[in-house]
Amino acid sequence: MDEVIERALITAKKLGATYADVRLIKKSVEDLTLTNREVKVATTRRSRGFGVRVIVDGAWGFFSSVNTTGEEGERVAKIAVEIAKASSKTKIEDAKLKDIEIYQDRVSQPVKIDPFSIPMNKKIAFMLDLDKLMEKEGIIVRNSSMHFSKEWKTFASLEGAYIEMERIVSGAGIQVIATDGREIQVRSYPNSFGGDYARKGYEFIEEMKLAENAERIRDEALQLLKTRPCPTGKMDLIIGPYQMALQLHESVGHPTELDRVLGEEASFAGTSFLTPEKLNNFQFGSKYVNIVADATDPYALGGFPYDDEGVKAKKIYLVKEGIFVGYLNSRETSYKLGLEPMGAMRADSFNRIPIIRMTSINLEPGNSTLEELISGVDNGLLIDVNKSWSIDQKRLNFQFGTEIGYEIKNGKIQDMVKNPTYSGITYEFWRSLDGVGNESYYHILGIPNCGKGEPMQVMEVSHGSSYARFRNVNVGVKHE
Amino acid sequence: MNKENMLEVVNKAVSLSKADQVEALLVGGESYLTGFANNYIHRNVGEETYDLSIRVVIGKKVASASTTDLSYESIKSCVDTAETLCKFQKDNEEFVSLPKEDGGEKYFEEVYELPDAETRAEIVKKIVNASKKHGLISSGKFEVERSQIAIKNSLGIERYEERTVATLKNIAMGDTSSGFSQESAMSFKDINVDKVIEESLDTALKGRSPSSIEPSKYEVILSPYAVTEFLSSMKYLSLTEKNIEEGTSFMKGHFGEKMFNDMITFYDDGLDNNTIKMAFDFEGMKKKRVYFVKNGVIENVVNDSFYAYKLGKEPTGHSLPQPSELGAYPMNFIFEKGKSKLEDMISNVEKGLFVQRFWYTNPMDPVNLVITGMTRDGLFLIENGKITRPIKHLRFTESIITALKNCLEISDNFKIIYEGGAVTTVPYMRIKDFNFSSATEF
Repeated sequence: MDEVIERALITAKKLGATYADVRLIKKSVEDLTLTNREVKVATTRRSRGFGVRVIVDGAWGFFSSVNTTGEEGERVAKIAVEIAKASSKTKIEDAKLKDIEIYQDRVSQPVKIDPFSIPMNKKIAFMLDLDKLMEKEGIIVRNSSMHFSKEWKTFASLEGAYIEMERIVSGAGIQVIATDGREIQVRSYPNSFGGDYARKGYEFIEEMKLAENAERIRDEALQLLKTRPCPTGKMDLIIGPYQMALQLHESVGHPTELDRVLGEEASFAGTSFLTPEKLNNFQFGSKYVNIVADATDPYALGGFPYDDEGVKAKKIYLVKEGIFVGYLNSRETSYKLGLEPMGAMRADSFNRIPIIRMTSINLEPGNSTLEELISGVDNGLLIDVNKSWSIDQKRLNFQFGTEIGYEIKNGKIQDMVKNPTYSGITYEFWRSLDGVGNESYYHILGIPNCGKGEPMQVMEVSHGSSYARFRNVNVGVKHE
Repeated sequence: MNKENMLEVVNKAVSLSKADQVEALLVGGESYLTGFANNYIHRNVGEETYDLSIRVVIGKKVASASTTDLSYESIKSCVDTAETLCKFQKDNEEFVSLPKEDGGEKYFEEVYELPDAETRAEIVKKIVNASKKHGLISSGKFEVERSQIAIKNSLGIERYEERTVATLKNIAMGDTSSGFSQESAMSFKDINVDKVIEESLDTALKGRSPSSIEPSKYEVILSPYAVTEFLSSMKYLSLTEKNIEEGTSFMKGHFGEKMFNDMITFYDDGLDNNTIKMAFDFEGMKKKRVYFVKNGVIENVVNDSFYAYKLGKEPTGHSLPQPSELGAYPMNFIFEKGKSKLEDMISNVEKGLFVQRFWYTNPMDPVNLVITGMTRDGLFLIENGKITRPIKHLRFTESIITALKNCLEISDNFKIIYEGGAVTTVPYMRIKDFNFSSATEF
């Protein structure tokens, strides 16, 4: 056992901690961004530090440091205990944790190509090729980006857990901004906000078909400048897998976080309409809606071997055949509601306390082909790739926009439309789903930037979906 | 770490590099956050963290590396990594130079005592006890930090800044309503705890049993919290040289044009008396006052040294830690106050809405700054010059440009709001024809 971990745990126990855990994390990150043929970001970041979480007098305390000596382990544990003692001044009841199986394990993550073994000049050369493909008159900004990280984490607790885990992440994306001097239009591939991410090596970048799609998004951005705006009114919507990721994230992932539900995030992110009496008792969506939280997928960005409480990764249903049946939880919140811990506690760094985070929140695929979904629409839109998003603090009223849309008339795809937006009330919207595309369209998108908590934590999560069809949705919004 | 330790690290880093130009930036300090929810402290955390970034320039090539390990071996390795990355790089033809000495103050220190865990808990206890007394539930944070920045570059820049900031926030919640208050100051002793309690509890109590209203255009009075959230997208879409280049800024092509009425003036100034002060940016450049809009006329934008030198201008002192996707950012945004008393502004509304706070705003149309978001923690109907009843929350979809053109009155007081290192100082605003596009259930 690392000296800093051992001395921190011993000190915490000696000073009265009834529970303590330590996370020691070593991480390397590489980021590259190329804009209009110029390298804007070429950087590596290395960090090493540890955080100590304790329960003393029935209340929580946490402190962290970048100095990983044994002596600092004792100092940090002592401060965490002092903080916990102060927390107990307002205690209403003791913090209690649901019992779990305790593991000692070491999990490495095999990848085909270590992303850090590929020299930066090779990566830049590839991005320059992409940049060239996106070049055309009217394109004002061409962006390509890559991100790689490698983390080694040790989790140890007074309960005897000792888990070492490796995590390797690769991600990339391209984007263009087109302008005619009056407006701008954006197209991204595979997705906006940095592209796609997975727990894979450099092979993931090679699998993404960035070059094959660069000219397409360039031409679509230019075409969007000339197309007519998205129509306004009630109509059917077919939403592509990338926008579905955002829909799942905002209207399923966040409202099923049990800390939100119990008011623990009210200060910042808000609460949730999915209150405990609705569990197993609320028609969240139509019978076609089956949504899982799956941390067991070997490649999904929201997956992991164990969470930051030492709970082994699980796959559970959040919504089954339309009924709301599960929460993302922690050991403490699951104790409060008498549930089984499902392993969703994660911190984004050694210096942050774990909170409940999404894993991979996936809408299970259905049986339809895209053609079948389209053929069932008399008047509607096919839309994809998120551009704007907003949802109320209980996760009911949402309004989202996408980069691109196509009108559907009498079961056939028509012209492209720009600035598509749609809005609704979460459960009414999911109840209107009447068809999901089959597995051939299913994609798990890695989202690297889910923000939550105070202090703010930015977490890697993911969302799997195929195409999905919703009936009678509010489309377009007037603001003038 | 103290000032001498911090400066020693950045000087050491610069001395270890053989690159044409080198910059070392060490950012860190200690911070503590006592978070509370359901009337008790549920998340009480602290950290002491330092992060060293090295930026090197070889010819026209630029690269960077960073580390949290400040041992000699690690600093040396970080410098070597940055230089290796730089050699692999492609020339950046637009890059001119790292920042040059601008004669600004070398050191800025405004540091006050940080409250210990016990003191923070006592202040939280006062808040939750007040909430309990009124049958409400409090959630919020008491966050204190001592932040330090040391910068050294091979062109002669050496800077050190140390400051403290404390923020107290409370959301008081009842069964059908909530109320919000937040206050920040450089010394925690300057925070008026009673005022935070009064504003949040008063809003929650007055907001009980809200009724529905049709989403439509309403005259609004926006509190400083609502104004801050409403304008937040403008800060990263419109107010920098990068925004002008990328075409997202509504100011592009309109400099010198009178776009708004005389009362609209907003600027950035790190040393204004009405902000939480910051003397220089993360490249060590002196923070200058930059007017974005002055008396309704489009004036200027902020920059970092990359854009300044590329465009043949002087740096304005608004760089974020480099490399940064945003480049520059207005860290000390100030909307100039007006002449109206809040009471008079309310009495001037025949029918309208008082908005305590907006939430989850995002741009739908960057160039026209069309923003959507929700109201939160207090929405009230104003009828015949008086606040008459609470209203269930609404979604707005409105252009910042249109709203500023429709501004009728600005209050004679403002509030300093601090979030994540950035400071926004804004007044109450009365705006006509503000568009609400849909409603929610609570």
